[in-house]
Amino acid sequence: MALPNQQTVDYPNFKLVIVGDGGTGKTTFVKRHLTGEFEKKYEPTIGVEVHPLDFFTNCGKIRFYCWDTAGQEKFGGLRDGYYIHGQCAIIMFDVTARMTYKNVPTWHRDLCRVCENIPIVLCGNKVDVKNRQVKAKQVTFHRKKNLQYYEISAKSNYNFEKPFLYLARKLAGDANLHFVESPALAPPEVHLDLAAQQLHEAELAQAAIQPLPDDDDDAFE
Amino acid sequence: MADPQAMASTEPEHQHREEEEAQAGEDEDTGAQVAPIVKLEEVAVTTGEEDEDAILDLKAKLYRFDKDGSQWKERGAGTVKLLKHKETGKVRLVMRQSKTLKICANHLVFPTMTVQEHSGNDKSCVWHATDFADGELKDELFCIRFGSVENCKTFMEKFQEVAESQKKKEENKDASAAAGLLEKLSVEEKKTGDKAGEEVAAASEGEKETKSDGKPDADKKTEPSSSA
Repeated sequence: MALPNQQTVDYPNFKLVIVGDGGTGKTTFVKRHLTGEFEKKYEPTIGVEVHPLDFFTNCGKIRFYCWDTAGQEKFGGLRDGYYIHGQCAIIMFDVTARMTYKNVPTWHRDLCRVCENIPIVLCGNKVDVKNRQVKAKQVTFHRKKNLQYYEISAKSNYNFEKPFLYLARKLAGDANLHFVESPALAPPEVHLDLAAQQLHEAELAQAAIQPLPDDDDDAFE
Repeated sequence: MADPQAMASTEPEHQHREEEEAQAGEDEDTGAQVAPIVKLEEVAVTTGEEDEDAILDLKAKLYRFDKDGSQWKERGAGTVKLLKHKETGKVRLVMRQSKTLKICANHLVFPTMTVQEHSGNDKSCVWHATDFADGELKDELFCIRFGSVENCKTFMEKFQEVAESQKKKEENKDASAAAGLLEKLSVEEKKTGDKAGEEVAAASEGEKETKSDGKPDADKKTEPSSSA
């Protein structure tokens, strides 16, 4: 569901509520999908931030309005007031912080009080970290409450598309739904004048001496 | 000699653990049965690349420069392609994020573009482009990192080769268009002598890579039209 100041779209769209303890990576996960960047800096979300996120599927374009809610109690804002009309949800915890898993039942209970019978994905984030506190085998809550579980890493992109794919399949009742290549529109011709070219070249020279954020990490696919 | 068991035990333990964990819960649907809320019909999928041939196709990670923070930020990891149009011969760079297949870069390769080395990293290189990935034109500084030095070299060479070939194409096109354009300009100039006309002329001269200093004088410009 779009906010009043947000553009509505003519293709299927869903309100997705993202909850979980502070610092588990909800905002980083959403940002990763929005811009591709991986934000290392922790800035607690105040209240809620709503971001539209589009995906292209074999059944056309769909949009999730991601309601990225505050995990920290003191910044909670309207709390479960944000859940109203939620059509699907992600509950996130951090596999390197046991308490965040212990609090999952509370998040789940609060969510289900407002949103009945919506598809929910439980995400154990930060699985790239070597010293986990919550092992995959110890994660059992989803079996008791019939949630889908994914181990994810917003840092390495491990399984990062799975929560959205699962929710899309459930919302459409189509187990074969899958992501497809979005149409690469023909870019318009651009002609830069010499002054603009020189400016870009100067900026590029500056940028070329800045290191990459993950220069040390050679493993990517 | 080392017996097989001893060798097996020397393998790092965390690797076993990771594999185990990666498999757990994967693609096993433990979710509740919920009623679907929309009915979606299968649609025809178009990549937008149907009229092009891939002349380069490599795995890579792309970054964009955040000017405010003066730092590189990840844009996506996936496949970078150079696509040559079957009819126009124009070449563009398209990169898609793996798994979601979304576009993280989409721009034409122009003769004025140069790809440069990224200081201190021989697996990555940088360039400027007016990018259309989000459906609107944006000036971006890109850095791309490959898994190997060879792939980075291949990319740089191909990119530069394409830029050069576009230059030749543009020159041919210019040869026929230039006379008309310059004639029009010289007429305008006689009328108004305005600055805008000079700028257009300077840009068109720049494209042809004449050895002018970018500020051609009025005599130079009227020359071709009088001889045409």
